[in-house]
Amino acid sequence: MFRLVFTGVIALLAAAMPVSAAEPVSTVAAQVNEKMVKIFGSGGFRGVTNYTTGILVSSEGHILTVASQTLETSELVIHLFDGRKMKATVVVTEPELDIALLKIKVEGKKPEEPTGLNLAYFDFDESAKRPIAAAGDWVFGFSNQFEIAMRNEPMSVMQGMITSYSKLHGRRGIFDFPYTGEVYVVDAITNNPGAGGGALTNRKGQLLGIIGREIKNSLSETWINYAIPLNAKVDLRDGDKTVTVTMPEFVAKAMKGQYKPVVKPIVALTAGGFHGIRFVPNILERTPPYIDELYPNSPAAKAGVQINDLVSFIDGEPIYSIKAFTDVLRKTRPGMTVRLEVRRGDNLQSIEIKLDEWPKGLLPVIPVPRGGEFPKPGDK
Amino acid sequence: MTTPFRFLNRPTVWFAGVAGSLSLGLIAFTPPTTLAQLPDSVKAAEAERIAVIAKVKPAVAAVCFFGGTACGSGVIISDDGLCLTNFHVVQPTGPVMQCGLADGKLYDSVLIGTDKVGDVALVKLLPKKPGETFPFVKLGDSDLVRAGDWSLAMGNPFGLAIDFNPTVTFGLVSGVNRYQPPEGKGTLEYTDCIQVDTSINPGNSGGPLFNMKGELIGINGRGSFDKRGRVNSGVGYAISINQIKNFLGHLKAGIDTDHATLGASFSTDSEEGDLSKVFVSSMLDESDAFRRGLKPQDQLVAFAGRSTTSTNQYKNVLGIFPKEWRVPLKYRRGTTSKEMLVRLMGNMETVKEREPQPGDAPMPKPGQPQPGGPPANPGAEKAKQSPAMKLVVEKKGYANFYFNTLAQDALLADMKKNFGDFSKLTGDWTLEGNVQLADRGGNVKLTWIDDKAGTTEVKMSREGIDDSVKPLGENVSQAELALPQGSGGLLVTLWHYRLLMTQLRDGLNPNGNVSPGFVHGGSEPFYPPLANGIVSANINDLRVDCNVLKTKKGQFEAKWYFSQKDGALLGCEATFTKEDDPCELYFYDFKEIGGVKLPHKIVCKFGDKVFATISARTYTLGKK
Repeated sequence: MFRLVFTGVIALLAAAMPVSAAEPVSTVAAQVNEKMVKIFGSGGFRGVTNYTTGILVSSEGHILTVASQTLETSELVIHLFDGRKMKATVVVTEPELDIALLKIKVEGKKPEEPTGLNLAYFDFDESAKRPIAAAGDWVFGFSNQFEIAMRNEPMSVMQGMITSYSKLHGRRGIFDFPYTGEVYVVDAITNNPGAGGGALTNRKGQLLGIIGREIKNSLSETWINYAIPLNAKVDLRDGDKTVTVTMPEFVAKAMKGQYKPVVKPIVALTAGGFHGIRFVPNILERTPPYIDELYPNSPAAKAGVQINDLVSFIDGEPIYSIKAFTDVLRKTRPGMTVRLEVRRGDNLQSIEIKLDEWPKGLLPVIPVPRGGEFPKPGDK
Repeated sequence: MTTPFRFLNRPTVWFAGVAGSLSLGLIAFTPPTTLAQLPDSVKAAEAERIAVIAKVKPAVAAVCFFGGTACGSGVIISDDGLCLTNFHVVQPTGPVMQCGLADGKLYDSVLIGTDKVGDVALVKLLPKKPGETFPFVKLGDSDLVRAGDWSLAMGNPFGLAIDFNPTVTFGLVSGVNRYQPPEGKGTLEYTDCIQVDTSINPGNSGGPLFNMKGELIGINGRGSFDKRGRVNSGVGYAISINQIKNFLGHLKAGIDTDHATLGASFSTDSEEGDLSKVFVSSMLDESDAFRRGLKPQDQLVAFAGRSTTSTNQYKNVLGIFPKEWRVPLKYRRGTTSKEMLVRLMGNMETVKEREPQPGDAPMPKPGQPQPGGPPANPGAEKAKQSPAMKLVVEKKGYANFYFNTLAQDALLADMKKNFGDFSKLTGDWTLEGNVQLADRGGNVKLTWIDDKAGTTEVKMSREGIDDSVKPLGENVSQAELALPQGSGGLLVTLWHYRLLMTQLRDGLNPNGNVSPGFVHGGSEPFYPPLANGIVSANINDLRVDCNVLKTKKGQFEAKWYFSQKDGALLGCEATFTKEDDPCELYFYDFKEIGGVKLPHKIVCKFGDKVFATISARTYTLGKK
């Protein structure tokens, strides 16, 4: 009880921080900056940035960041706060936490050897023991958003408040988001390119969370500014069992090279069942799913779908784009029946389609999954 | 991804955005405490912040088309109504616009100077009654700004305030010394700028960024955008006030200023693990840096007193200077390093306009609005009736030559006060004294003698060696003009000095403003060697900020440097050809002779060497 009251007082003080804190924000910012790295990897096309941010969690050069597509390369490069440019490798990724652990490679040393870097870092375990920050607390966001900083140029620092500590449920077709646990929602605009993996700290520069990836609510066309808290926790299905994984466990095991991510069933990565619909060219981020062509004798053609129909719902879920349609269909299997609502002229038509096996030679290219096990060069 | 804001987004776009974020259903924040419970220090800080905002608010301007349609923001920096804004704000308004202040009034205003590359413009508000002064803000020192400092941005975002009462936003400085590459043909480049999370939106362009003391530390003008459209995404940029200070002399003199290049390109090595170093990769042979001895593969250690370990940092430092400025440069070759002064070249003259190609889109006709470009000026007709129109003189190379004439007037008044009236002293001149050359010294006699046709011959006699030249005579060779040999043209430069002092503007500018031989050149630093001849270890210790006068007669051009502190004439640079170093004279020890003041010690420098030091015993100035 006493402890609860005590943390309440801390939160109250934190809310009134900008003047009562001993250290100027500029001093705090300079200290945090030394524990952060700029990460450069793959991307640079189709809206995927080839840069992101990371935080140092060991003096040896372990880096925590968001499990983004930027990491999908064997040529990761990081810039330290003092301008040193070094190589890094992904140790392990946990897609359900949306987090990855990297380690700096020192030229001439084996991965298991000590790097001897002796860097400033956030003590993750200590940080995670601190009470959860409350709505109304002042926070700072540190990141290399928009790739503004290179080499020894410092991270961008932003200020804001925690507006909520709450679950953030990804919903198919609304936002594609693997992590289902609690997050800090903040009013600082952290949702910018390259900010993912940045640090969310309190007024004293103590780590509270890791700035999340860019996600958008496709219903309201808004982006959400959030950070994954250090105590993030997810329940994973491992075969028939459910295992709970926390971020501190992940970090501790991953740093020892002992973390094994739970392998997800491969079904999510297939093309799903065959329907036989071809849409108009998918040139916009949200191209409306207008039907351009139907394969002769395909399930859709047989069920009475027509060219120029606009797909509006699948099994009652609203569908706004070709991508959303593909995402839903990817989770189906041949033999399943899906119900489409299509707009034809002024009317909605309800059509049931029994999905089929894909004809040989027609299988579409499967998009790269976000997070998780990344394909290695040579993988198909 | 970063772009200057242009004009107004429709407010409806914004409201849609607000509605959208509400629909996310985020939990609203309830303060955990009431005002009465707040510590006194919090209340005191809040009261202080309110007081600072109240203090600076009257000086914040809404820069508008004539008639009051909002374009952007600005801030007044002097009691006579000088107001800083962005170039991209005044680009569509033309030379006459109106500025609205928090008093609710619109003031007719006129464009004075522009910095297109740096996206800065200076305008002047005209008082409603003669002699009326304006509220203004103090310029701060942006080199003291740190990431994590609090800041206030003020202005007129989205043209919200119809009564011109500015909007204030509050936030953090997210970074300093940021570099944002140019947009378009080498213009709107933000170097060494201040990055803020303080909300900056369309319409904030040109408005002030203040520190928490209410000192002006920057001019807001740009943001990084990605997916939200052209509204604040937490990343705004302000042009640092210290950069603007470097250009202010030029802006006040009505100049369409240009930024600088060193005439060299640099590359960064990319060794793993190592800190990066910046090396010269190629050079223009007409650049001063090349003539001073900089070579490819030299490592750039420091530029203008700041260390350079990345090309961004180099671009940051280079970008804050106007062309033709001289700044110290330190380089390392092998194991030795050397500091030297280099003259910077113009930036725009190296950006070649592309010839129109077949298949290019046709150029829009004048007056026809360009898609996505500046909107048509709705106040163009009304502006013609404004008294501010009388303060506009167009001339190539100038934003408004009228203000150059005003700056010349001020300089002429100072010259008359400091050096006396030379107008009657147009007879022959003689200087007798002593000369010290590199290897010998002795007596010297200098004469300026006009022949019957009025052409002046300057002659120097030293210990039996005579050199003479008639700069405006017929068939004068380049070698003669450069006499005495090794001086780079001491005689011609002395001829130019007499011309300046005796003829002033009316003599050098006989055709009025058609072909000016007498213009104000803004401000530049000048580095006179110490009078005792001791070479200073730190070049920057020699720096004196000067007003520059540019004169031209025939092929001869010269720049004269007057100390901003006391109006003293510290020296000049005379140029014969762009390919050669100028002849530099440094003046010391001004003494009065019959009502006028003349330098009694003159140091002549050419390239990296002092050619001669002349000490005058007597001057004889003939009348006509």
